[in-house]
Amino acid sequence: MQTFAVVTPGLDLQASFLDLLHGYGVSQQLAHLLWLPLPMLTVLVAAVVGVLVNVWLERKISAAVQQRIGPEYAGALGVLQPLADGLKLLFKEDIIPAKADGLLFTLGPVLVLVPVILSWLVVPFGQNLLISNVGVGVFLWIALSSIQPIGLLMSGYSSNNKYSLLGGLRAAAQSISYEIPLALSVLAIVMMSNSLSTVDIVNQQTGAGIFSWNIWRQPVGFVIFWICALAECERLPFDLPEAEEELVAGYQTEYSGMKFALFYLGSYINLVLSALLVSVLYLGGWSFPIPVEWLAGLLGQSVDAPLVQVITGSLGIVMTVLKAYLLVFFAILLRWTVPRVRIDQLLDLGWKFLLPVALVNLLVTAALKLAFPAAFGG
Amino acid sequence: MFGFLKKVGDYTQDAVGAAKYITQGLGVTFDHLRRRPITVQYPYEKLIPSERYRGRIHYEFDKCIACEVCVRVCPINLPVVDWVMNKATKKKELRNYSIDFGVCIFCGNCVEYCPTNCLSMTEEYELAAFDRHSLNYDNVALGRLPTSVTSDPAVVPLRELVYLPKGVIDPHDLPADAPRAGRLPEQVLETLPKPPAAAASAPAAVASSEPAPAADPGATSQP
Repeated sequence: MQTFAVVTPGLDLQASFLDLLHGYGVSQQLAHLLWLPLPMLTVLVAAVVGVLVNVWLERKISAAVQQRIGPEYAGALGVLQPLADGLKLLFKEDIIPAKADGLLFTLGPVLVLVPVILSWLVVPFGQNLLISNVGVGVFLWIALSSIQPIGLLMSGYSSNNKYSLLGGLRAAAQSISYEIPLALSVLAIVMMSNSLSTVDIVNQQTGAGIFSWNIWRQPVGFVIFWICALAECERLPFDLPEAEEELVAGYQTEYSGMKFALFYLGSYINLVLSALLVSVLYLGGWSFPIPVEWLAGLLGQSVDAPLVQVITGSLGIVMTVLKAYLLVFFAILLRWTVPRVRIDQLLDLGWKFLLPVALVNLLVTAALKLAFPAAFGG
Repeated sequence: MFGFLKKVGDYTQDAVGAAKYITQGLGVTFDHLRRRPITVQYPYEKLIPSERYRGRIHYEFDKCIACEVCVRVCPINLPVVDWVMNKATKKKELRNYSIDFGVCIFCGNCVEYCPTNCLSMTEEYELAAFDRHSLNYDNVALGRLPTSVTSDPAVVPLRELVYLPKGVIDPHDLPADAPRAGRLPEQVLETLPKPPAAAASAPAAVASSEPAPAADPGATSQP
């Protein structure tokens, strides 16, 4: 009698790890328990390294745009500069202002940072290269990013500083206003992909290489999503909460040392996360401009051979990271190109421009889906 | 109905225009990525100050007549002119003159109004001291000739922006004889239309001299 092993073709790291532990006499449950932290740690390390790279890129690209050099003494080409910055913040004195609410003051940065890191759960670097293929992938990210305004309000209020309070209120208003067009543009993508899972969204964009990416079918949605993502990350032109000239540092004014490091980290992790999500939703995620199946067929190799799997896996990771950092570069360039928007201009843009345009985009996508089901996700 | 459509059309036009402006801006910042910095590595390289640079004030004791115009035109009445009336010679006798460069704003009013041109501005700007009292220059200190950046062997002098050739913005590695942008007066004269030929110049000179005295009474009669 033939037994059909239901196994994903090709390399399966989890199964190999579990088998290895079985070989040492470890039980099923314990082996599974030991496996669970490994992807999480990998993604956490990747996120932190990504942030360090982002900080270095920001310093160097900002310097190049301003016709200067940037960090060059801390390590070759200044690559150890972000590490030095982090160490400095670690060693600084942790101050809680007088008459400030200690608990809220400490919890504020935590509430701002933890949802962002948690959202890395659903970022895929390959077909199975993500922590967990949650069925509600993108929706989880949107829901988690809605926790951020609470943290911002807590930080602003508990600082016992009127400028911080104003900054916190403005930051919360900004965050909330730009969530809705963000969700609507994601909804259009989800409608086309018939699934909330990030892996399914990327899979729906494979097939014709660069021409099957969602950016061609959702150009307006791409622009809306990118603007809203920049507003959520509080990057210029939307960095009013941290407007150095206007509110000192907004809700971050009273923070120093590790708590400030949490805000700083959170801001950059959010940017890398947003860039990765844009590349997943609109730029085809891990897909190469030329489909890897065609390339493998050209070279006469089977897609399931282990070596091919390793190469395509690495190619997928490289492509995701490349697309994400292209968007990060664009964000850094944009920071030194456009002036900052005022709070009323910001809210006008969010509610009176992006929201109607996102709704129209949704309606047009729905109409096109009904009219051309083959092209727009039957 | 059509009013609404027109509004939508205008709004879309505005949005497209804004996107165009932003793209142009991005083009400028992207272009900057290929430029190298033109940092002047002070103190190994220094900029040569321009001709009318308002640096430290220079004072010639022998030319001063102690009129105190410089004090009156100074916004803060800074120069201290220490003179006494010499009853014997019935002249002012200047004892000391000092300017406190810790207070001076280097506006140049005193230089502009001095009737004997004993005050002038030099190109020195490196007046830093450890003690602010040493910044109170007396007439001996004021009379010292300025040191120039070009005479210092340890310094590479660099030209300022206005002295660079056309199309050059980096003063490093510039040949010393590269002419500055723009034309000298002699070069401008060459481009102007030539005066009439020499053969006609003698009768022209005679003809021009005659109307000149005749024109004078006419000139003076007009207010």
